[in-house]
This record gives sequence, structure tokens and C-alpha cells, in this order.
Amino acid sequence: MILRRSRYFVREAARNLWHFKTRHAISLAIICLSFVILGVFLCLSNNLRERARAMAQNLAVVFYLDGNMPAAERLPVEEEIRRSPLVGSVREVAPDEASARFLRDFPDLKEIVLNLGLNPFPPSIEVSLKDPSTPAEAILGFIEGIKRNPAVRDVQFNRDWADKIASLGRIATAIGLFFGGILVLAAFIIISNVIKLIVIARKSEIEILRLVGATNTFIRVPFLLEGTILGAAGGLLSIVLVFGLIRLFPAAAGQTLGALQELIGFRFLTFGQSLALVVGGGFVGFLGSLSSIARFLRI
Amino acid sequence: MIELFHVWKQYQKPLWALSDVSLSVKKGEFCFITGPSGSGKSTLIKIMYREVVPTEGQIIIAGKNVLKLPSHRIYTIRRQMGIVFQDFRLLFHKRVFDNVAVALQVLGSPVRDMKRKVFIALRMVNLQNKIWEEAASLSYGEQQRVAIARAIVNNPRILLADEPTGNLDPDLAHEIFGLFREINKQGTTVVLCTHDKELLRRFGGRVLALHEGKLLGREPR
Repeated sequence: MILRRSRYFVREAARNLWHFKTRHAISLAIICLSFVILGVFLCLSNNLRERARAMAQNLAVVFYLDGNMPAAERLPVEEEIRRSPLVGSVREVAPDEASARFLRDFPDLKEIVLNLGLNPFPPSIEVSLKDPSTPAEAILGFIEGIKRNPAVRDVQFNRDWADKIASLGRIATAIGLFFGGILVLAAFIIISNVIKLIVIARKSEIEILRLVGATNTFIRVPFLLEGTILGAAGGLLSIVLVFGLIRLFPAAAGQTLGALQELIGFRFLTFGQSLALVVGGGFVGFLGSLSSIARFLRI
Repeated sequence: MIELFHVWKQYQKPLWALSDVSLSVKKGEFCFITGPSGSGKSTLIKIMYREVVPTEGQIIIAGKNVLKLPSHRIYTIRRQMGIVFQDFRLLFHKRVFDNVAVALQVLGSPVRDMKRKVFIALRMVNLQNKIWEEAASLSYGEQQRVAIARAIVNNPRILLADEPTGNLDPDLAHEIFGLFREINKQGTTVVLCTHDKELLRRFGGRVLALHEGKLLGREPR
């Protein structure tokens, strides 16, 4: 009995979806657009957070040295760094290597560097810390100690960057939720109106069902199913589109992305997020139908 | 089977669509309700299947006080009835089979059982050879017969018909009335609204006449 009923409900919902295909296609496009925007911002947020997490786990301090000083005077800096118990590994980066790295990461700026006629990059020492959970105060104390050496011109500590990227990730999530939320609300209203139009178009059929003794549930379920299928299909389609964007955008943008490509990495949504988009779409569709039949399907 | 006690209905003041109507239709009876247009025939039929709620009075259908039923339980009464309308109320874009089967679908009948019952109902109205045709492609007479098949497919205890021959020519109307007689012979209580005096004369049976919402009693023939 339950199986027979379920088959009837699915068949009726599918029949309506097909019968009013133009209206449904428009609402599907809007639901999909809403979830694409939400999905893109979620991806961006994922990527930024992942990058921030990776940076935080691989804490590094870069000491920029005075290039005009003889190498012998710079050597004590490296020795002092190696003596610190906080330090994991130390790597000296020569100006030529720094220049080559910059030209590789920012090919568009190549001309500017070459036109200078000299290498603007100072020698540096890149230091990885042993323990990513080292308190900031201990690291800052270590940096201050090294900075006192006259050979050290500047220091860059990537925890600042990690914090900035993490907050960018949070901003991306907030923007995505804001715009996505507005569009999801629009999708809700659209589904509600599409179902309302279908209820009106099927008024005589509903009337006949009532007269032959259909229960309220029997009349309502196909409409609820229809909205749910529409919403879930919109969510699913948006995942496919977001996946396409993530795959195609770096390929289309090519080299112009430079270091941005490495920074963002263009990772896709997690399985949980993808599932949430589909289930969320279905839920929005269900609520849209429910609000419509509650207002317009008087049985 | 059907009992109405002092039923009054007012759609808008000061007119009364029905004024103090009391009647009783016994199990297996064939009963006509007649009267001129606007006399309250349709209102009376609608009250019987609780499409319309009376302003005052009580209605007992198959032992149940229908006015005490909450709106979400009205289907329990309607499943015991078949209803036929003047405008057929078919799903014109669907096949004859689907139109008749809808009354069984709401009950959750198995497909095999449904096919058998639909075929029997269509055979009774002599439309078994049109089972897979679209309802819109049938003539008026055939469409009304489909509506009758839908009304009787689940063996209702009561058959209500509101001007079922209003859109048909006299020969077809005669044929449809004959069908109602056949259905009644099988034990179904039939209540039929009509203003066609010629058909009443031909078919006989109990006649309840309405005039300006008042029940006049047996109409002279």
C-alpha cells in the first residue's frame, strides 16, 4: 500500500514537472544560480582557510639581510638562528634565487624587474619553526633577539599572513552566506509561486480528487515532492556548475593568475558541503511548496 | 441512508436557498429531486456530499452525522458515494482508464484489482472499447458515461447526480437515466436532480419537488 502510494506520488510529481516544464526550468535556473553563488563563496572560503591552516602548520620566519655587508659579517646571524631551540630548519636564499622565484611567480611583473638593471632582492634566511603551536610571545622574543643584529634589515613572520588569510576566508563565507541567503530566499519565493500556479492550473483535478474521497495528504504530497525535487535538482546542478567553474577558471585565466593560483589552489567543495547544497535545495523547495499549498490549496 | 432534519441554507441575506428541508431516502431507493432553476436542487445535493455546510439543521449519511465530521475527515463520507455532475468534471487530457481509476487510486487499490474494476465499470456503461482513448476525444454522451463509471467503480452505497443529463439530447438523456436505473437495481441508493419532467414521467420513482428552497412533497405526474 505504502509502495503503491509512493509510486503514485512520484509519478504525479514527475508528470507535473514535465507538464509545466517551462515554469520549472526558470525556477530551476534561479535556484541553481543561488546555490552557485553560495558554492563559489564556500569554495573560496575553503581555499583560503586551507591555505591559512597550511601556513599556520608550517610557521616560517624570513630574515632579510643587508646585501651590502660582506658574507662573513652575515654569518653570525645564521649561527645565532641555528642555536635557538625553536628552530626546525634554516635555509639561506641568495638574491639570484629570490629573483628567479619572483619572476616565476609573477611573470607579468618580469619587465619591471629586468628594467631596473639590478637585482632588488636582498639575501635572506628562511627559518621553519619546529613546533607550529609555539606561543607567539616566544617566537616574537626570538625574532627580536635576531633583529638586534645590524646585518638584519627586516623580518617577515607568516603567522600575520595566516591570520589575514583566515580572516579573508571568514569574510568570504560571510559574503557567500549573505548573497546566497538572499538568493535562496528568492528561490523559496519562486518555488512557492510556481507551485501556486500549478495548484491553480490543476484546480479542477484537485476538485475531482476531493470528490472521489482523496485525503488531504494524498492531494498535497505530490506538490511537496515536486518542490523538493525541484530544489534538490537546483542544488545538484549548482554543484556541477561550481565544479566546472573551479576546473575551467584557472585553465581559462592561465598564467595571469601567477602566485594567486598557488595561493588559492582552487579546491572544490567538501563532500559535506556538496551534500548540504543538495539537501538544502530540497529543503528550500519543500518549504516553498508547503507555504504555497498552505495558502492556496484549501481542501 | 440519507436523512436531513430541518435544513436551512442562506448564502446571502435575506434569501434562503433552502428553507426547513427535511427528508429521508431509504437504502436502495431511487429518488428524484426536481424543481425549476434556482429552487435549491444543487444546494441540496451539495449539502449531501458536504460541499456546502447548511446554516442550520442536521444531516445523517449512512448513519454518520456529517456536520460533526472535521473537514479533514470528509473523505470518509465521500468514499461511500459516487457523484455525477452536469459538466462531467473529467480530466479531459487523460485517458478514459485514468479518469475512472482515479476513484480507486485514492483508496490505494492494487493495480491489477484497479484494472479489473475499471473494466467492469466501463462495461456497465458500455464503454469498455474506449478504455485507452483520451476523454477529450469522446462525445458528450460518452463523457457522461465515463463520469458515471467513475462514480460507480468503487461500488458506492449512494449515487448522487446533479442534472446529469443537462448537457445531453433527449435520446442520450434517456439512455443515461436507464443506466442509473440499472445501477439502482444492484442495490445502490440513487438521488438524482433534474428539471426534465418528460424523463420523470418516463422513469417514475419517488419525486421530491423543491420550489424557492422549500420541499413541496411528491410532485404530481
